[in-house]
Amino acid sequence: MSDVLQAEKAALPPVLEVSGLEKRYPAFHLENVGFTLEKGRIMGFIGRNGAGKTTTLKALLSLIHTDGGQIRFFGTDYEGHEKEIRQRVGFASGGVNYYPRKKLKDITAVTKRFYDSWDEAAYRQCLKAFALDEEKKPMELSEGMKVKYNLAVALSHRAELLILDEPTSGLDPVSRDELLEIFLDLKAAGAAILFSTHITSDLEKCADDITYIKNGQIRASSSLSDFLSAYRMLEIPSGVPVPDGALGVSRSRSGASVLLRAEDAAGLEVRPADLEEIMIHLEKEKEDE
Amino acid sequence: MKNLLIKEFKLAASPLSYFFLAFALMLFIPGYPILVGAFFVCLGIFYSFQSGREQNDTIYTALLPLPKRSFVQAKFIFTAAIQGIAFLLMTGLTLVRMFTLGTSKVYLENKMMNANLYFLAAVLVIFALFNLIFLSGFFKTGYYFGKPFIIFTVAGFVWIALAEALHHFPSLEWLNTPAPENMGRQLAAFVIGLLLWCTLTLLSYRISVKRFEKIDL
Repeated sequence: MSDVLQAEKAALPPVLEVSGLEKRYPAFHLENVGFTLEKGRIMGFIGRNGAGKTTTLKALLSLIHTDGGQIRFFGTDYEGHEKEIRQRVGFASGGVNYYPRKKLKDITAVTKRFYDSWDEAAYRQCLKAFALDEEKKPMELSEGMKVKYNLAVALSHRAELLILDEPTSGLDPVSRDELLEIFLDLKAAGAAILFSTHITSDLEKCADDITYIKNGQIRASSSLSDFLSAYRMLEIPSGVPVPDGALGVSRSRSGASVLLRAEDAAGLEVRPADLEEIMIHLEKEKEDE
Repeated sequence: MKNLLIKEFKLAASPLSYFFLAFALMLFIPGYPILVGAFFVCLGIFYSFQSGREQNDTIYTALLPLPKRSFVQAKFIFTAAIQGIAFLLMTGLTLVRMFTLGTSKVYLENKMMNANLYFLAAVLVIFALFNLIFLSGFFKTGYYFGKPFIIFTVAGFVWIALAEALHHFPSLEWLNTPAPENMGRQLAAFVIGLLLWCTLTLLSYRISVKRFEKIDL
């Protein structure tokens, strides 16, 4: 049975395919960005502030113009099919940040008019599950509730892909955990999620795949386990030279920690690296590497 | 289109857009440049643009399953709707002034513009100037509206002064008859005003769509 399901899944086009995406600003260049997201998977899009995460996500939905590249949703080119694709995709940049003084019920009453597949029962269910009060206004909601309202809207038009720009930033640890559990529920229901973050612990809890962007370039895009297994950490005391092949070095009180590629770590006393360590050390990588 | 209009009225619009419709009543004031009432209607519409910007209406609309130009479309149909309501109101009040108050002493002795078909044409020119200057100016950035509104204000008041001055020229007194006289010529002026509104609004819409498509949101 699982073979049949796997075969069915393999026959489906990816939910999102991005290749060769380019965007040039005077001081920043998004260069040859590409990655693929399959149905029912959660992809964490990581990178430090200013790496190009938001630019990439905005480019996916044509909120900004690109200078090249191809974007396909559900096996269809975005260009020329924006309307149909938008019906199937939910996008949120943080929480609800529009009409702060209007009641949620008034915003929803307008929003739902634009979606062919609006499911009022699903919306009511989301309101209940997220404990959202429709009589409230966005300005009266906490950051976590603002994100939840956006999710409720996306889920009520049966979005098959959620693109979320830093949905967990500004949330307290409990709210973040709640949100990540919602992501897992959505995944179980078959939705795919692409969310950007710089909080690596979010990804350890729920991400299947990682796409890492640095200075506008994708440095890695793979499953979380492949990504983690590609690196090792080496602790060296003060005064000991950094070994060849070090990808990045971070100093500490007692010495330094060094990030190595797994293949360069043979014979060394290394330990597995976690996401935060990989990201911190790769950001300290020498520019010429 | 209906849904976009509902979005504008229910979410983006400022109540001042409706309140300023009351300035249509200014056309009953004798000895006053009554075209200023049309300017105030445009000022009311301006407040809705301000309200929309403050409420992130642009990004809300951009995320709906609609083409990007729908945001421009929404603003144009809202503007046309408010101008349409104001115009119908002014037309009704103008007819009352012409047919029931046209021989009233205050209007016969009025040195300023009287409310008649020529006045309605002049109102349409103000609305057309607003659509051409303010709307297409706003869509250059989708954000800044101060400069386009100032330019519209200057152009609008130059037109008000000119429109007020015309009937003082010896061969153009017919423009200012308070009662239903010279209807044929005034009707011609009205048709020219209507054509100008349609042409300049359509032109502005095309310019605005082109400009807005180029903007990164």
